[in-house]
Amino acid sequence: MSFRDAKPTVEVEDLHREFKGKEGTVLALDGVDLKVREGEVFGVLGPNGAGKTTMIRILSTLLLPSSGSARVMGWDVAKQPEKVRPLISTASGAERAGYDYITARGNLWFFSQLYGLPSKLAHERINQFSEMLGLTDYLDKKFYTLSTGYRQRVTVVRAFINDPKVVFLDEPTIGLDVMTALKIREFLLKQAKESGRTILLATHNMAEVDAICNRVGIIDKGKILACDTPMALKRSLGAPALVMEMTPPPDSASLEPMGKVDGVKGFTSSIDEERGVGRVQVVVDSDESAQGAIDFARKSGMNLISNWRQQTTLEEVFVALVGRGFREREHESPS
Amino acid sequence: MNPRASIWLKTVYARTWVRTKSIYGEPLWVAVNVGFPFFTSLALSLLYSSAGLKSGIGFAFLGGVMVSFWGNVLWSMASQFNWDKQQGLFELYITSPAPISAILIGMSLGGILGTAPSAITLAIIGWILFAPPANPLWPLVAVTFALTLASLYAMGMALSSLYLVYGREADSVNEALHEPVSFLSGVYFPASLAFPAALQAIALVIPLAVGMDALQRTLFSLNSTGMADLTLVYRDILLLAIMGITLLFAASKALKILEEKGRRAGTIAVRLR
Amino acid sequence: MSYVRSLIASIRVGWARDFGWTNPILGFSLKTIAPIASTMTALTILYIGFRNGASITPDNFPSKLGFIVIGATLYAHISSYSWVPTLAIAEGKWTFVFPQVYVSTKSSPPYLAGRCLASFASSTVTSMASLAVAVGISLYLFGVAIPLVVTPLSIVLFGLALVVNIFASMGLGFLLGAYAILASKFEWALPTYVSGILMVFSGALFPVTSLPRPFSDIGDVLPFTEFIRASRAVLLYDTVGPYFYYLGLSFLGGVVLLAIGLLAFKYSEERARRLGVLDRKVV
Repeated sequence: MSFRDAKPTVEVEDLHREFKGKEGTVLALDGVDLKVREGEVFGVLGPNGAGKTTMIRILSTLLLPSSGSARVMGWDVAKQPEKVRPLISTASGAERAGYDYITARGNLWFFSQLYGLPSKLAHERINQFSEMLGLTDYLDKKFYTLSTGYRQRVTVVRAFINDPKVVFLDEPTIGLDVMTALKIREFLLKQAKESGRTILLATHNMAEVDAICNRVGIIDKGKILACDTPMALKRSLGAPALVMEMTPPPDSASLEPMGKVDGVKGFTSSIDEERGVGRVQVVVDSDESAQGAIDFARKSGMNLISNWRQQTTLEEVFVALVGRGFREREHESPS
Repeated sequence: MNPRASIWLKTVYARTWVRTKSIYGEPLWVAVNVGFPFFTSLALSLLYSSAGLKSGIGFAFLGGVMVSFWGNVLWSMASQFNWDKQQGLFELYITSPAPISAILIGMSLGGILGTAPSAITLAIIGWILFAPPANPLWPLVAVTFALTLASLYAMGMALSSLYLVYGREADSVNEALHEPVSFLSGVYFPASLAFPAALQAIALVIPLAVGMDALQRTLFSLNSTGMADLTLVYRDILLLAIMGITLLFAASKALKILEEKGRRAGTIAVRLR
Repeated sequence: MSYVRSLIASIRVGWARDFGWTNPILGFSLKTIAPIASTMTALTILYIGFRNGASITPDNFPSKLGFIVIGATLYAHISSYSWVPTLAIAEGKWTFVFPQVYVSTKSSPPYLAGRCLASFASSTVTSMASLAVAVGISLYLFGVAIPLVVTPLSIVLFGLALVVNIFASMGLGFLLGAYAILASKFEWALPTYVSGILMVFSGALFPVTSLPRPFSDIGDVLPFTEFIRASRAVLLYDTVGPYFYYLGLSFLGGVVLLAIGLLAFKYSEERARRLGVLDRKVV
């Protein structure tokens, strides 16, 4: 599905944001350019501290940029926040925002009123979205009695109740069980497809991005490193990744030179404690590079027990772009 | 109706509803809120008795009633935005089209309606237990009470902006403000009979002090002839009106400035957790 | 040894929490100002009674002021640290500290006792400061010097009374904590009620004997009443014999209250474990 012909709903140009603190200045966003179109689910993927939340905060009018411009539905977020706010909503996985002694329904109705919704319409939407998210039986329970998963469902319903054109979601499924996370993702997809909403999803959950995003922007240290569909990003690496297993697991020092092998973009390592096997995933740009990595492992004295090629993951794309994995090595070798 | 006016009214109503529902939906709240003010009023009434001034008992219970509202202003108005910020609610207010003034007024109305049952209960208990002597001028009592509440809650709105900036230790600031302001305002006693003129003049900048003076005069008639000094009552009424309007205006302006500062510095959504 | 280690660590944590301000002077001032104000309220009422009533003479007015200033200050002192266990539990459930403490080797009693002791230390400092300031303000406002007996002996004996009162206050703290651990809401409600009851029945502002029976009898059996009486005996009336009598009663009552508090707390912990509310407010 191409969004090229759809009108842009979020436009970011050369966006910068720095924070001055006691320990110096931190550059959270360093010249971000982005265009997201109507009906698109756009993922912003990056590790903690990459700038994802900062960007969401600027677009949702919580934060002013240091320089550059950002527009939502054509309105400038810095200079015209009052025009932007009726058209957007935000939800964060870190929030469990609600009044404890009010029911879930009462909380949702309350937030609908901040957007001027007639009560009847508000309740219709509450019922409709709650049914989609399996929340109906919990609507009349007091907020403080709800579990984490159900509070998050309430948060997600709240984000859509005012019929926003653009929704900013910051890690909406963090800390949730698989079923709840799946339900929320299905809901988000439906909202984008059927209602033409633009959804900007900041996350570091690769599976989530793979599952529902039309395009992904990979961000690190305040810069967008790549921006394309998940499939295109994976294909951009060329050959699928090489996976090698060796026993005993090699230590970090002996693995380090792997990164210098011709054609190797980056690698991650982990240990399978049960089998006593070390696993190294190498992002390569060609079959020759893969062979080079295998040769290096053998020449270094590592006991290679198996190797194979596997479909590139988004994590490998990230590693290739940034040079480090999301997950550091899970276990240090005993000294 | 104008869409902006509609959002404003809906927001006021919704925020009032949330606050009153939180309180009335938990019947224990009334009992909980009555407890400490009742025992304080009781202890001070017994102190008045042991000091040979049974006629002072009315001041003790009037003080208990007003302390309920003052406590609500501090703990549920001034601190509220700070707590909302911790919960992630404040940023939802900022990113919505609802004006902050509407949320504040909703909080005030809800606070008044929610505190009223405990205040009324306390007044009734005090009346039943002690039947304190009183010479109420009811129309003036009603006017001064309404104006006192209005300016108290306007002060709460103004404080809420300060708390947003300095409210990391909101509980400690509340504890620090609660008793000293009660003392300076003569909540439990007629300050005009105890404080030197200079201290009384200083206290007149506190809406609670002005309100207490007016209420005590209109309820208990403070001068030696047994008649309330109406000049001073009218002075208090005028002061309360001016304070209320000034504080409302200051609150609105302060929050706008703080929102802008918060957006610039990136502190609107900062939470302790 | 690990019990003592837990206790000491908890005292340090409690002290840091109470006085770990970026600006210690500001922190100290904020903590002192409330007890000063509440003491001054009571003193001012007495003053109004003196000026407008008939039962207080210029001769006995200063000692009546002394009666109240000691009672009000010590009441604030008792109130502030006896509900620390409630605070520690409520806050601890919210921050997940309490469940971590519960599952540790010596579990929660040394933690709560340590927090109590830290608060005892901080509230002793702030109460004494507020006592001194209240005496000063009274001199300015009422032109009367409160005749407190401040000698090395009176200070030592008063200090001893403060220490003996720890038993009673900690016992009360554990009793309130027993409620807090099971409460799904309004944990702070019971401590505020108890604070209010203490204000009436501990003889803080007026002699307990001025209450009608059986209320005066209730006041008489409270160890807090005896503690305040013992303190007045040395700081106001300069009488050592009655001091030891009241101190003895305070100690006995305190030990009994502590035993009851610990038993109640143990029972509540077990019940909370059964109900599944040690690490949350509702199941």
